Amino acid sequence: MSLLIAAALCLVAVSGFLVVRSRDPNRQVFALAANGLVLSVLFFVLQAPDVGLSELAVNTVLTPLMFLVTLAAAAMNEARR
Amino acid sequence: MTVTWRLGLFAISLAVLVPALWHVAMALPAFGAPTEMYGAAVNAIIPAARHITNMVAAVNFDVRGFDTLGEECILVAAVTGTCVLLRGARGEDLTAEAGHLPDRPHVERSDAVVLVCRIGATVLLLFGVYMALHGTATPGGGFQGGVIAASSLMLIYLGEGYSPWRHVMHSWFLGALEGGGAFIFVAAAAIPLMLGYAVLQNILPYGQPKDLFAGGLMVVANFAVGLSVAGSFGQLMLEFMEETRSPEDDPIPDEED
Amino acid sequence: MSVFPWLVAAWLLGIGLYGIITSRHYVHLIGCLSVLQSGTYVLLLGIGYKWGAGPPIFYDHPAGTPAVDPIVQALVLTDIVVGAAVTALLLVIALQVHKRRGSLDPQELRPLRPDN
Repeated sequence: MSLLIAAALCLVAVSGFLVVRSRDPNRQVFALAANGLVLSVLFFVLQAPDVGLSELAVNTVLTPLMFLVTLAAAAMNEARR
Repeated sequence: MTVTWRLGLFAISLAVLVPALWHVAMALPAFGAPTEMYGAAVNAIIPAARHITNMVAAVNFDVRGFDTLGEECILVAAVTGTCVLLRGARGEDLTAEAGHLPDRPHVERSDAVVLVCRIGATVLLLFGVYMALHGTATPGGGFQGGVIAASSLMLIYLGEGYSPWRHVMHSWFLGALEGGGAFIFVAAAAIPLMLGYAVLQNILPYGQPKDLFAGGLMVVANFAVGLSVAGSFGQLMLEFMEETRSPEDDPIPDEED
Repeated sequence: MSVFPWLVAAWLLGIGLYGIITSRHYVHLIGCLSVLQSGTYVLLLGIGYKWGAGPPIFYDHPAGTPAVDPIVQALVLTDIVVGAAVTALLLVIALQVHKRRGSLDPQELRPLRPDN
């Protein structure tokens, strides 16, 4: 059990580092989605199912979607200029 | 202030904060040790006192319900700010033509994507409503169910395309969901006050444990938050997607993206 | 193991702050802010955990079984949803900056002078 928690915490640390390291915003969107998934796994392992559900729905689906749409809108404004 | 300056300041602050952090990390209770008395008291008292089985929902809507009221107001304020900023910049008339970048190829949707999105959106909407309604019995609640229902709206966009989706999403309906949910929550807080009790005091009958409508006023608060979160995120998605279409320059004719 | 979650939370805070300092794109900056927020979630849920305890849902178990702290879970739950709404507001502000100034680079956009 503690091995599982330690592994999940290591994955979260690596995933957070990868989000910061992906400098191109189009790549960072997918790193954010993976980060949300890894965090959700950690929250389930820490016996918090409500928080895991919330994190999964919000940070894996809705927030990367908002990022993608913002980048598309910025690209369209740029093309129109 | 250039990046080098900022990194230098960051390094100096790290040199001061990291020893302090180490000291605090050693002084905190060890991971896994039983700590808070408040949480233990909630776990011990609330199942019998409120007849519900989800302690997190009880904390959210009854024990610390006032904080959730504040969070609800933050949510409404953030979405209002988004709408004011976006609509103020582009005007309020809505067209249903998708924008198109000139150098991107136009790829038709495959039938498999359309089928999976149609089935998936229906199932996901039902699942979100189920999750929101069963908040006081099993893991779930208004927040989770609301975001799941909002994500089903995006599956409809993925399957149908921009113009049909734009015809289906009515901004006034999403705004009514969001504002109506917040209003019901505030009313649930104010009505006990007007009747002479404390704010958000649980005045409705509690019901049976593991039942769908157990918990008293928590059921009303849960339902209100579910409506409001679904409306908020739907409205956010609508405003964001509206930013990607262009009213003034005409896109390639009869193209739906 | 007993201080590992606090160190991971501090690492996430530090790496998020470093990402914000050295960012070259406002949308990347907002993503690093999201990493900062996740550091606080890890810290809060780590404080609430108890060895050998189950989730604070007493649907299948009777009401006396050991359970982790529900207060911090309630805090983190509302925080996640509201944090997403605030992230949306920040993205909209970044979009407006792009419309006015044509660039999303924080190091190019020094103080916004009132030139129209």
